[in-house]
Amino acid sequence: MNKNTKPLWQSPWGYSESFLFAFGLLLVGFVLEFTVGSASFGSIVFPQNLILGTVYILLIALVYVLIRKKPIFKFLSGIPASIGAIAGLSVLVVIMGITPQIPMDNKRIVTSLGFNRLTTSIPFLFINFYLLFILGMVVVRKLFPLKWKNWGFVCSHLGLWITVFAAGLGSGDLQRLRMDLIENRIEGRAYDDKGNYFELPLAIKLNDFKIEEFHPKLAVVDNTTGMLYEATKPSMIMIENKLVCQLHDWEIKVDEFFLTSGRAGDKYYSMVDLGAAPAAKVRLITPAKDTITGWISCGSFNRPHESLKIDERFSLLMTVPEPKKFSSEVSIYTPDGQKQEQTLEVNKSFTVNGWKIYQLSYDEKMGIYSTKSIVEVVKDPWQIFVYIGVFMMMIGSVYMFWRGNKVKNEETIKGVSN
Amino acid sequence: MIWNHFLLAAGISTSTWLLAAFIPKRELIRNILVLAGIAGIAIFIGFLWINLERPPLRTLGETRLWYAFFLPIIGFLTYWRWRYNWMLYYSLALSMLFLFINYLHPENFSKTLMPALQSPWFVPHVVVYICAYAFLAASSLVAIRGLYQEYKTELQPKIMLMADNLVYLGFAFLTLGLLFGALWAKEAWGHYWTWDPKETWAFITWLGYLVYIHRRFQMPSKFKSSLWILALAFVILLICWFGVNYLPSAQFSVHTYSQQP
Ligand code: HEM
Repeated sequence: MNKNTKPLWQSPWGYSESFLFAFGLLLVGFVLEFTVGSASFGSIVFPQNLILGTVYILLIALVYVLIRKKPIFKFLSGIPASIGAIAGLSVLVVIMGITPQIPMDNKRIVTSLGFNRLTTSIPFLFINFYLLFILGMVVVRKLFPLKWKNWGFVCSHLGLWITVFAAGLGSGDLQRLRMDLIENRIEGRAYDDKGNYFELPLAIKLNDFKIEEFHPKLAVVDNTTGMLYEATKPSMIMIENKLVCQLHDWEIKVDEFFLTSGRAGDKYYSMVDLGAAPAAKVRLITPAKDTITGWISCGSFNRPHESLKIDERFSLLMTVPEPKKFSSEVSIYTPDGQKQEQTLEVNKSFTVNGWKIYQLSYDEKMGIYSTKSIVEVVKDPWQIFVYIGVFMMMIGSVYMFWRGNKVKNEETIKGVSN
Repeated sequence: MIWNHFLLAAGISTSTWLLAAFIPKRELIRNILVLAGIAGIAIFIGFLWINLERPPLRTLGETRLWYAFFLPIIGFLTYWRWRYNWMLYYSLALSMLFLFINYLHPENFSKTLMPALQSPWFVPHVVVYICAYAFLAASSLVAIRGLYQEYKTELQPKIMLMADNLVYLGFAFLTLGLLFGALWAKEAWGHYWTWDPKETWAFITWLGYLVYIHRRFQMPSKFKSSLWILALAFVILLICWFGVNYLPSAQFSVHTYSQQP
């Protein structure tokens, strides 16, 4: 029990040695950051990250083979070393949680120690490699020999290891670009958020962009402010042909309703034409039993919008319809001469040649007449490994919920407060 | 019409749950009542889904419905596995609170959420965090009690076992919350983790409880240091929940929406 009296560096090592290790490493890291600086660090990309990762795993394996019979292995794969490493990381993360993580130009102690960009500083790099190393030792010790009862432990610890390892090494390889597709044109280039264009190993032709909309809604607005009347109540009603409804104090009847229409003279007619907009003939009965009739339309990019004045204060209008569903029918060409027909939809992406294609947006001003579809193309070759790790951790968490407290009860019961 | 169905569903759930709270002794009947209330919300969500022809996840009101649905499920599972009655009643009370907020603010059903929040990950992320905080807060109350007993030198080991189990359950939910958040961020922004101040403090909280768990596992017979770690971890958790906005780093947070759910 009398651990505290053990001289430093005498076996078995415990918390003191562990904290000295972790904080010594931080100190070295900060000294290097202060003198050399990490400005020259770029993010590493394929294949350097793969090589580095392989070397790191081999190193862990080698260290394990060399020291597995020695007392130091017990230390490196034990809880004191783990807590030291976690505490070291915590110190950095607390600094990160207090100082704003933004570029600052004036050279002060904060910037030269990298406090304002901790995730790219040398101490952060060091402590992460150290923590991964310790966690690697921990996992390896529980994996050999493999025991069935350790599966929950392996899920959470190995899962965490894989997640941190894959996410860290893979971050340099992530690419996330956008493509503007115009109907009947072939597009093979995509742009990033700074507007730089890249050639892709695939080309997409938009055959048809389809969009379905909800019916527009009836709403009452204040003539002077343009604000919705009594916005705190359910205050918009979707228009249907022959709808009869009560909107606030007014009774409203929809006599005619066209999804696409055009105005001729004093009346709207159902018609199909570029820009044809929804319109409805409505009858509005005021509380004083006056009837007001007229046409309302939400207009479109080339048609005016029309509302019905109720009185000095209020008008009845038709809202711009919201999109229900939009999708792009595309042909995707790959360099091997293949052509695939696909439909891209929100939340229904398609993967080709390692690129994931998402339906993102369209020309919103044109609404249903949009002939442009905006898609996002994402390449993240390491994502699958991160997801494997994350799902292992999730299983580990569910196990933890189910299994509950693992601390040895007898020892707790016997324990004396000290 | 949807509104009337909502009133019906909320009324059924509220009344079954209130009834359930009054007969805690008749366990079978109580459980059936709790489940009936959950089913009421489930049927309404299904009805809404068919009626809107889309998953009802777009508006603040709709997401609250999902909270009101998932919270009692987790509360019930916890009760079923661990016999924590308080967690069951806590989750039922919160669920009723969410229904009540929807009742007071019908406009929440037409207010659409900002696009980034319209994600299937949003609801599980928030729900598991609510559960995590409940367990961890409970464990801290136990820790304070333990520290008091320790001060009076009459600490009972049973206290530690109780704190341990609460931390394990809370930590499981906290981990799930972080992971759901990371997956969601990946889908929405393309990055798992951006070290936003709120995320950073959530991570520090996680580390705090991680230390507690491992310390306890290694030194089951030493209580005092563990109790202090637990108390400290809760202070961090409070910083994460309330304090982040006052820190110098917070001006750049994406998590400070004006309308926190
Ligand atoms: C997802 C995060 C983690 C969770 C949920 C977790 C949970 C646990 C649990 C429940 C135990 C009890 C042993 C058992 O299950 O058989 C344990 C043991 C242990 N953990 Fe973790 N842990 C996590 C992360 C870490 C990290 C980051 C480290 C170190 C860098 C670590 C090192 C250890 C060690 C050394 C043991 C003792 C194993 C033994 O001696 O049997 N853990 N952990």
